[in-house]
Amino acid sequence: MIPQNLGSETNIKLPFSFILFSIIAMILSQTLFLVNGESLINGIYRIPAIWSAAHLFILGWALMIAMGSMYQLVPVAFLTPIWSEKFGFIQFGVTAIGIVWFAGALYISPESALIPGVVMLAGILLFIVQMGMTLRKQAKPNILTIFVGSALLCLFITIAFGITLVISMNTGFAGSYYTSIFKSHILIGTAGWFTLLIFGFSYKMAPMFSLSHGYPMNLAKYVFGMYAAGLIMVVLSFFLDHSIMLTGGFLLLLIGFSLFLYHISIIVKKRIKKKLDRPFSFALLAIIFGEIIHLLAFIAAVTNTLNVFVGPLMAAYLFLWIAFSIIGYLYKIVPFLWWTHKYSQIIGKKDVPALKDMINEKLALPLFIIFILGVGIVSGGLVLGLAVLFYIGQSLILLASIIFGGAILAVMKK
Amino acid sequence: MNLQEQVELVEKIRTNLKKVIDPELNINIVDLGLIYDISLLEDRVAAITMTLTTPGCPLHDSIVGGVKYCLLEMEEIDDVDVQVVWEPAWSPEKMTEAGLRAIGR
Repeated sequence: MIPQNLGSETNIKLPFSFILFSIIAMILSQTLFLVNGESLINGIYRIPAIWSAAHLFILGWALMIAMGSMYQLVPVAFLTPIWSEKFGFIQFGVTAIGIVWFAGALYISPESALIPGVVMLAGILLFIVQMGMTLRKQAKPNILTIFVGSALLCLFITIAFGITLVISMNTGFAGSYYTSIFKSHILIGTAGWFTLLIFGFSYKMAPMFSLSHGYPMNLAKYVFGMYAAGLIMVVLSFFLDHSIMLTGGFLLLLIGFSLFLYHISIIVKKRIKKKLDRPFSFALLAIIFGEIIHLLAFIAAVTNTLNVFVGPLMAAYLFLWIAFSIIGYLYKIVPFLWWTHKYSQIIGKKDVPALKDMINEKLALPLFIIFILGVGIVSGGLVLGLAVLFYIGQSLILLASIIFGGAILAVMKK
Repeated sequence: MNLQEQVELVEKIRTNLKKVIDPELNINIVDLGLIYDISLLEDRVAAITMTLTTPGCPLHDSIVGGVKYCLLEMEEIDDVDVQVVWEPAWSPEKMTEAGLRAIGR
């Protein structure tokens, strides 16, 4: 028997700082999308207000939540404490100031976004340093380390591409590769950073939330191999302008994602907990959405129509796969964080609530339905160019964001 | 303390440990099969060998802390040594019937 004791839980103020910031960014970004509906319906995406909203959503919400969740999950999943909590608070401050300043600059005067952009990127770099130093301390690296480590590498590459884009815009440097770098920036930032991160943590959280036991893990290395190879091939196709390579890359991404779906389905089938809770089911639903989007992207690549469908596909990927995964898991993570803060010193002495009593689970189903309806109606509005559909759908997303934020804040009253 | 009293105290400890709940599953750690061994190192010092359902469980520190608090609340116990082990690994077979019922099995 190998005894092991831990003391690796993170100061709750650190992950909560990120989560509270992200709730505000989510509501603000969805409001900005709503009030700029006319531009979106007319296919005008490259205007300052939309840039601002998109960056607030992707960086202010999704990235900040991912960072906050990692401050909590990395120590417990990798059995190693965070390298430096003090450094974590500094990193939060720099990144938060950077994102607010950057989004504000994009809205008011995009030409002055360089310095705030650099501050924001510095904050993200500090995060990579923090996590890199933390993962280095892990006693026994495993497949999760590969997923999370590669996700961090992708985040670094995304930043490198982002800086190159800014320099290119200002100086003309690598101007002939601007479009290739831009596409790679988006791909590696979404399918690289977010997806590999969600894959990695799903392998930890899915068995925990379903109490699964006796499932094989060998498929995970094939999931990683296929998906990583797909990412590399698609990036190469952007730079070489090679359509067959692009199709091949999307095929590898589809195979990698399908293997992940299959693997998670095996894990869930091996579960001991009979009834899955709704937030976790929502995260599982996001995987099915992700599979459909990968299939559609591959079909678009085969039929050479990727240019036509890339906008709706990206939006679907961001909302239905990445955002829904995050929302589903966050509904589980936040109650756990607050429970640990409030009850970990009382457990064993007095009665303590269950995690499901910490958050309004009855709200979960209608909330998730409103999100799905909202995204569906917005997509319909954008594809058909119908303003009324867009406004109804976007209002639903904003409403769901506010309810979601309220549900998260209400946990702190428990 | 004679042998009979020791056996009774170990059983009292086991019963008391049912106050420690896994908050994710809402099942006590005894019925969940997390407690491998309860012994007495000295008259008023208990030793618990236990596991968790998975290494890297986010509730590791809370549950281990709960075991300590729970036993230190007992008037018969002054000190407790908790060892968390991963070998043998937890498996559903270690759950009691009450535990299995609680998760719908």
